[in-house]
Amino acid sequence: MSLIEIKNLKYRYPGAAELALNDVSLNIEKGEFIGIAGENGAGKSSLSQALLGLIPQFYKGAYGGSVAIAGLDTKTAPVSEICKKAGLVFQNPFNQLSGAKDKVYDEVGYGLQNFGMEPSIIHSRIKEVLTQLGIWEYRDRNPFDLSGGQLQRVAIASVLAMNPDILILDEPTSQLDPVGSEEVFHTVDELTKTGITIIMIEQKVEKLAEYCDKIALLHKGHLIAYDTPGAIFSRDDLLELGVSTPAFTTFAKKNDLKLPNGNYPVTISELTGLIRATGIDVKPLLYSLNTPNGKTSSEEVLSDAPDANFKISDLHFSYVPGRELFKGINLTLDNRPTAIIGQNGAGKTTLVRILKGLLKPTSGNLMFRNQNIASKTVAELARAVGYVFQNPDDQIFKYKVLDEVMFGPLNIGMSQKDAEKSSRAALELVGLTDAADKNPYDLELSDRKMVAIASVLAMNTDVIILDEPTIAQDYKGREKIKEIIRSESQKGKLVIAILHDMDFVAEAFSRVIVMAQGEILDDGIPAEIFAHSDILEKAALAPPHLMALKEALIK
Amino acid sequence: MGKLFKTTFSTAVIVLIPACIGINYIGKLFAQALKLPLWLDSIGTCIGAILGGPVIGGICGAANNLIYGFTTGDNITLIYALTSLFIGISVGVMARLGFMNSLPKALITACIGGLAAVIVSTPLNIIYWGGTTGNLWGDAVFAASQANNMPIWIGSLFDELVVDIPDKLITVIIVYFIVSRLPKKLTTLYDANSVVESLD
Amino acid sequence: MKSISLYTDNGSWLVKLHPFTKLFYLLAVILIPLIAGHLYMFGLTILISTLSLLSAGMLKKALPLIAFSFTILLTIFIIQGIFYKGNVSVLLSLGPVSFYKEGLLYSSQIGLNVLNMLLSFAILVLSTSPSELVEELEKKGFSTKFGYILNSVFQIIPEMMGTMHTISDAQRSRGMETEGKLITRIKAFIPLISPVVMSALTSTRERAIALEVRGFGAKVRKTYLYSHPYTATDQIIKWISLLSIVIVIALRVMHIF
Repeated sequence: MSLIEIKNLKYRYPGAAELALNDVSLNIEKGEFIGIAGENGAGKSSLSQALLGLIPQFYKGAYGGSVAIAGLDTKTAPVSEICKKAGLVFQNPFNQLSGAKDKVYDEVGYGLQNFGMEPSIIHSRIKEVLTQLGIWEYRDRNPFDLSGGQLQRVAIASVLAMNPDILILDEPTSQLDPVGSEEVFHTVDELTKTGITIIMIEQKVEKLAEYCDKIALLHKGHLIAYDTPGAIFSRDDLLELGVSTPAFTTFAKKNDLKLPNGNYPVTISELTGLIRATGIDVKPLLYSLNTPNGKTSSEEVLSDAPDANFKISDLHFSYVPGRELFKGINLTLDNRPTAIIGQNGAGKTTLVRILKGLLKPTSGNLMFRNQNIASKTVAELARAVGYVFQNPDDQIFKYKVLDEVMFGPLNIGMSQKDAEKSSRAALELVGLTDAADKNPYDLELSDRKMVAIASVLAMNTDVIILDEPTIAQDYKGREKIKEIIRSESQKGKLVIAILHDMDFVAEAFSRVIVMAQGEILDDGIPAEIFAHSDILEKAALAPPHLMALKEALIK
Repeated sequence: MGKLFKTTFSTAVIVLIPACIGINYIGKLFAQALKLPLWLDSIGTCIGAILGGPVIGGICGAANNLIYGFTTGDNITLIYALTSLFIGISVGVMARLGFMNSLPKALITACIGGLAAVIVSTPLNIIYWGGTTGNLWGDAVFAASQANNMPIWIGSLFDELVVDIPDKLITVIIVYFIVSRLPKKLTTLYDANSVVESLD
Repeated sequence: MKSISLYTDNGSWLVKLHPFTKLFYLLAVILIPLIAGHLYMFGLTILISTLSLLSAGMLKKALPLIAFSFTILLTIFIIQGIFYKGNVSVLLSLGPVSFYKEGLLYSSQIGLNVLNMLLSFAILVLSTSPSELVEELEKKGFSTKFGYILNSVFQIIPEMMGTMHTISDAQRSRGMETEGKLITRIKAFIPLISPVVMSALTSTRERAIALEVRGFGAKVRKTYLYSHPYTATDQIIKWISLLSIVIVIALRVMHIF
């Protein structure tokens, strides 16, 4: 008998028309590391929740088939029993706190308290997992004061404390910055050594390729394939299924580097190993790395006369008097699409909020198209500068997507007709033409993010600021956002984005600004910036995957 | 009657209650920030009542005042727990009777909720404050009634009416618009009558 | 994180008392003057509470709590002083307005009652950790689900207040006005409150899942990581409080008061 047995699993959410899971069958053995891949809405999270019995017990809806986990039928066994066998960690670090404990130590012990375990055993379990995950030092902190990466590790600790046989990770790093993601993946590294069975849903395909024994590929609720990473990522139809291939596989495909078994290499070590074993000349490969496809766009949009949009000189800013975050920033922003990168707390969001007028600099000059805007109000700047907030749920309040998108245009004085025209155009650009009459809350998070982007695009501002637009987006969504950046730039608009996704930065932007501790460390075109490994290290950033490959090949 | 008050204490419903209490609080803060002449501090209670039924509504209301009373030391809030309890119950009952299905019906619910507030608050005002409410408009009405030698309870009733009815009307209208567009995937979680359908 | 609870652990004797002891004290000082029916009894309980707060170094933090109800008390003094039904003897005349002795006495009784309650609550609120109070109640059989609700409110509100600012920024970024005429401000309320409500409700789903997978629904009896010893001081205060209530009732019944 397998540890997990899924037979003909079917599920439909209440009020939904289509099946979220449609006839899925697969077995998972003890000690395996299983990945689940697929585009948004493919049924990945639904599958993971069916393993814990949350589907159907918690969500209700319509259910068919069966799931057995360590012998428990998850349709009927109480979730409080199933969770002794399998632990779940999901995307949002804050929402998975119990919300009842004000110390990390107590938070980790919460599950065991509910099981009615002896206090002395709980204390020793807490100590054990906190030490194991390297977060013993946070034990007295309030969980809400921790960073996302630290919190995710607390979440993993809370689940591991209950000593489950299976750990389910549902995109645990999708909302984290690069350091936070690394912290979590480092923890995953450590856990693989313990022999625990891990099931991981992930958009970062390089990570799936690195860890997984097998990957379940889902599409529209169907299980398309269940095979090794090599076989899955060598498929030709992956992009159609909305799943990207690891950067190394793409590179191998382009250069026709195949493993003896007919698959393409999926990890950097497989790739470099293959190159060394076959003794291929590295030079042409390196050359092809230097001129990756799509990168030509940087010159293309570098329009003829980069006229200054923003001119910032000697900008000072502090949240708390006496503790300056910005100690005299000088920066000119022209029309090139510009990415701002850096760790959380580097001052990226603060900088763009100052550009938007949401925060006022303590001193210094802030010019927009030769006008001093340091003293203008947010509403006055609404026509000139558009700002898409990270979380779409912080702004959506209408019941129709179209009305939501029209809110901004109407506020800045567009006529009803113009506002509607502009909004429909914006919806077309983000690919939501068909959703115009839908309720935004019936859409997936990734689409709600698109609604938020459209609601700012429709205001037709000269500048568009995007805060983490790629979070929660799958392959298709990321391509869409690339397209939006390109088309808005071509219209002569300045697009500024805060990003943590270095591969995306390298592909979509012509200018990169690196920030750390309130200072601008570096400023230039992506290829240059990502070659400055000393600066990237100082800003605690990892280079895009292909840069890492380049370094490995040079060695 | 049993069905009207049917309640499930599932995890989703338990988590709904603190969220509603938080919503009450934020509603009040926004009303203050925008300098609106209303309280708007029972939005969460009404949402809890509509989604979880009268019992949950009552718990949201009462717990709301008890918690603020005990944390901020503001025992003025504390005694009005009884008022909030009845607002939650009455809105919950009305919602179960179908009086939240359209806007005109929702307005009736608002009036019932407002009247529940008035009926419960008035004796409390008299016992605790001698008839006033602490609201400028309401107290002006109370002072006028006392100057004209009307009984305390009539003055106090007017005092409360002037404040509560408009407040509950606006509250229920807002709640109506919010609740009517909640996705089914979410509302089912709180529904005491939901079941799993079979696809086999 | 800014907490809505006013509790701080300053290591004083009030903090060290068991939460229940403070509840017994609260009950006694609120009931005794009401049963006794004499104004000077309020003076006595107010004095005890004030001295307790003073000795624990918490009086300063209690003052804002009292100041809070000052305006409403002032309104009562004015309205009752002028319009109280039993008003007979004029105490003070300011032009056409006369303040009466009876009305002012009546107002004083309301005022002292409020002050007494505020001070005794201040003792509980300033010196007791809400989560500890909840935990002790749970150990005595109080529903753990209700216990969760109480604890969770303290965590949720600061979090929601954080989103409140972001939402306000996001809507202003889309050109929404939050100042000006009443109708403009009323219109702004919906774009501000709706996202708070919607995200609060949608996050309840994730939080509920988080609880489910941590055994929240388990039918076994919960265990606790900490215990608060019930000291001799606790016993003494508890019994003095309870006995005082009994004595006052007895004196009242025997018409000695």
